[in-house]
Amino acid sequence: MKEILKNPYAELKSSLNSGKISATELAQACIDRIKEVDGSVKAFLSLDEKRILNAAAESDQRRKAGKPLSEFDGMPVAIKDNICIQDTITSCSSKILENYKSPFNATVVERLLKKGFILFPRTNMDEFAMGSSTENSAFQVTRNPFDLERIPGGSSGGSAAAVAASMVPLALGSDTGGSIRQPASLCGIYGLKPTYGTVSRYGLVAYASSLDQIGPFSKDIQGCIDLYSVISGKDENDSTSVNRPSFSATAVSATDLKGIKIGIIKMTSEIEPDVTKAYENVLNQLKERGAILVELDFSKFSLAIPIYYIIATAECSSNLSRFDGIRYGSRKDNTGKLEDLYVESRTEGFGPEVKRRILLGTFSLSAGYYDAYYGTAQKARVLIRKEYESFFSKVDLILQPTSPTTAFKVGEKTKDPIQMYKADIWTTSVNLAGLPAISVPMGIDTKGLPIGLQITAPSFEEGKLFGFSQELSKLEGLNILLPEKIG
Amino acid sequence: MNLNEDSLQKIAELARLKIRPEEKESTLRDFNKVLDYVDQVKGLDVSSIADDEIYFQHENAIRPDLSGKHLSREEIETFAPSFQNGYFVVPKVIET
Repeated sequence: MKEILKNPYAELKSSLNSGKISATELAQACIDRIKEVDGSVKAFLSLDEKRILNAAAESDQRRKAGKPLSEFDGMPVAIKDNICIQDTITSCSSKILENYKSPFNATVVERLLKKGFILFPRTNMDEFAMGSSTENSAFQVTRNPFDLERIPGGSSGGSAAAVAASMVPLALGSDTGGSIRQPASLCGIYGLKPTYGTVSRYGLVAYASSLDQIGPFSKDIQGCIDLYSVISGKDENDSTSVNRPSFSATAVSATDLKGIKIGIIKMTSEIEPDVTKAYENVLNQLKERGAILVELDFSKFSLAIPIYYIIATAECSSNLSRFDGIRYGSRKDNTGKLEDLYVESRTEGFGPEVKRRILLGTFSLSAGYYDAYYGTAQKARVLIRKEYESFFSKVDLILQPTSPTTAFKVGEKTKDPIQMYKADIWTTSVNLAGLPAISVPMGIDTKGLPIGLQITAPSFEEGKLFGFSQELSKLEGLNILLPEKIG
Repeated sequence: MNLNEDSLQKIAELARLKIRPEEKESTLRDFNKVLDYVDQVKGLDVSSIADDEIYFQHENAIRPDLSGKHLSREEIETFAPSFQNGYFVVPKVIET
């Protein structure tokens, strides 16, 4: 039965709706597959079989009674460990929240439950979503299903690896500077970072509030369309939620490649040759089908990563100040003064990368440095947003490789934070501008590792992204095979 | 720019973090490496951007000031590190 999980999501959905498989069979298949391969992939931090199977049995009862909650009733979806689920540990892969059980559901979780999805909490991540490799988890390093010696990308590496290894058909992640798109790219699947404000952040443990956005992973485009339709839409509990209805699958625009204007970047020497080759293959095929390619000058974006790190770390130092050992999380006992309790609890509870970012953020917000760093970065962010606006007056969509390299080896970049940060070179500017972008499979390199293509659209144009992605999947050489190394 | 050990110590105090003696050297090295990298932002000409342009939304998010459902003390107790008689327990802060 677990073999069925190797089918794309769209086929599983149709099997579930036609009664070919039950929710219990599907959930059991996921559990069996997780038990089979997760010992080596390490995508999941926990597996509550009883709760999953109970939820699946309830789903089957509803379908039997002819009252399914939706066409998704019984569909499994893995949840990243920074999205709150009631009575479930939400640790953000950190020691400081190791035993924290959430007393409430995130809005996205409420919306999934209302439609009958079966939750598979919780997937491993870089601690507090800070990282590009899922090596910064306090508990385990997730491996890339295509090569277990390599990283799956980060920070939502657990969610991406779980989908790529066919443990679950769908997963949710969060994206602050590329944390959905980059692991989707390195794991050969689809991953969407929606327009800022279209998905509620209520119940997402904040890293950098003006950049974070929850989004879906799937092996096919339909999974991203369906999940985004369910989780998007105005939420009164999130003041940054935009006043728009949920995305409707009917808004997926049929795309005619003939005449479409595609913005492209001039490739530089920092990119792996196989990535360049795959990108050029896509561009050539698009050109043959009548697309108009417009070269864009991305030189202003060379500072996107430094701008991102100043803003993100400033917000992180503020957001993570709530972890003080008093109200929730872990506490370092036997300390004398209140101040010592704060300091000891935080020093013990946070990992090295989180501390590094808190320090940088505290520095750029401190007296004497605020204007030069944080103030300038905020304004520079506007320059980037304006540059995108100018691009979108000339083109319909922008295409770039999601990552300049394919998956690197575990430990290869951990000693050099700057090298690690550069893994997000093309993804961070999208968050700074609040735009939607998706990573879709773009082929395989000579080592058998997946390559991803990032497609960026103007705000609220997810329908364009989906429509174009559907057309792209018909081109040659873009399909990704299943990872062979884990069977 | 480069920070020295004393300045980093001050930042750590503001962040309520302790840099242990054995970590001082590597923390300072990593911090300055990252600072060097983000330093590029300092020289940017952003004079064309007005202060009020930095916000995404110009729409106020307000809702009626009504009492609603809140967590009970029993619920809070389940995740508080130390809780007694309905209160969070903290070290003594007032000297007698």
